[in-house]
Amino acid sequence: MIAAKKGIRMTVALALISAAALAQGQRSLADRSGRSASKPVEYLYPEQVTLPAGKPGMVGLHFRIAPGLHINSHTPREEELIPTTFSIPEGSGVRLEGASYPPGAEFTLPLEPKTKLSVYTGEFVVQARMVATAGNHLVEARLRYQACENNSCMPPKTITVAIDVIGK
Amino acid sequence: MKRNAVVFTAVLLILAFVAWAGWVNFKARFKSSSQAAGQPSASAVQGKPAPAFTLEDLSGKKVSLADYRGKAVLINFWATWCTPCAIETPWLVELRNQYAAQGFEVLGISVDDIDRGDPVKLKEEKQGIARFVRKMQMPYPVLIDGDSIGQPYGGLDVLPSSFFVDRNGNLVAEQMGVTSKEDIEAKIKRALGER
Repeated sequence: MIAAKKGIRMTVALALISAAALAQGQRSLADRSGRSASKPVEYLYPEQVTLPAGKPGMVGLHFRIAPGLHINSHTPREEELIPTTFSIPEGSGVRLEGASYPPGAEFTLPLEPKTKLSVYTGEFVVQARMVATAGNHLVEARLRYQACENNSCMPPKTITVAIDVIGK
Repeated sequence: MKRNAVVFTAVLLILAFVAWAGWVNFKARFKSSSQAAGQPSASAVQGKPAPAFTLEDLSGKKVSLADYRGKAVLINFWATWCTPCAIETPWLVELRNQYAAQGFEVLGISVDDIDRGDPVKLKEEKQGIARFVRKMQMPYPVLIDGDSIGQPYGGLDVLPSSFFVDRNGNLVAEQMGVTSKEDIEAKIKRALGER
C-alpha cells in the first residue's frame, strides 16, 4: 500500500516535470522568434517622469537591443542607411525640443570588413528635452530604427515609447 | 501487486513521453538554428510553383515572373538600406553574367518604401533606388514595390531574401540572409537543372 502511494507520488512528480520541460521548450522557441523578429528593440524605462510645467526638462530614455542585433546610430555613415530617431507626436501635451543621441560604435560585418558602420548594440540612452503643459499626459512617443544581424537585416520599424509625463 | 504494475507502466509511459518531447524540441531548435544560419529549408519550397507577380521597373514598365518561363530565375529581394544586400549584390552581378548564356536571369526586387500618393516623394524614392542600381552596376531587371508581393514569399522578414526558380517556374531553393557566392552558385546550378 505504501509502495503504491510512493509510486503514485512519483508518477505525479514525473508528470509535472515533463509538463514543465515541454513548456520550457515551447517558451524558448517563442522567446527566440520574438527576440529576433518582433522585438529587436525594447523600451526599458522610465515609465513615469515629472517635469516642471512649461519648462524644458531632460529625460533619459533607456532602450535595449536584442543580443546578436545592431541598429544604425542616429548618424549612420551612409546616406541610404536609416538613422535611429526619437519623436513625440503633436497634440500629446508634451513637446520634444530636442534629443541627444549617443555616438555610434564602429562596427564591421564579418562578411565585409572594409565596410564600417556606426551602430548601437546592447543598451543605449536617448536624452530627450521635453516641455510638458500642466497635468498628466500619457505620451505615446516613437522610436524608429532599422535592425540587422551580421548577415541579414529586418525592415525598419517604429515602436511606441509609452511614458506617463506629469507637468507640475 | 497489481497496482504496482499499473504505476510502473504509467511511469514508463511518462518517461517515454518526456523523451519524445525532448526529441521534438531538439528537432525544432535544430531546424530554427539552421534557418537562422541561412541554410535553405529546401523541403518546404522544393517543387512548388513560384508565386506569380507583376511589378514595375524604375521606368514604369510592367514585368512579370511569367515573362521568364523557360529560364532559371533568381528572385532577389533587397533594399537600399540593407548593408548585407550591398555585400551580396556584386556576387549576383557576376553570377548573372556568368550564367546568362545558359538561360539564367536575376530579378532584383527592391522593397524600399514607395509612396505612390506623393509624386515628389515617389520621385526621390525612385532616385534612391536608381543610385543603388548604378553604384552596383546591376545588369538585370530591377523592380520596385516588392513589399506588395511579400506575403506569398513568406513575409520578407529579413533581407536579402532569395528564391531560386527552375525553367518550369518551380521553386528549387530559397535563402534568407547572405551566405556565400559559392552557395548561391550551387543553387543557381540547381535551378538550371545541373547537379
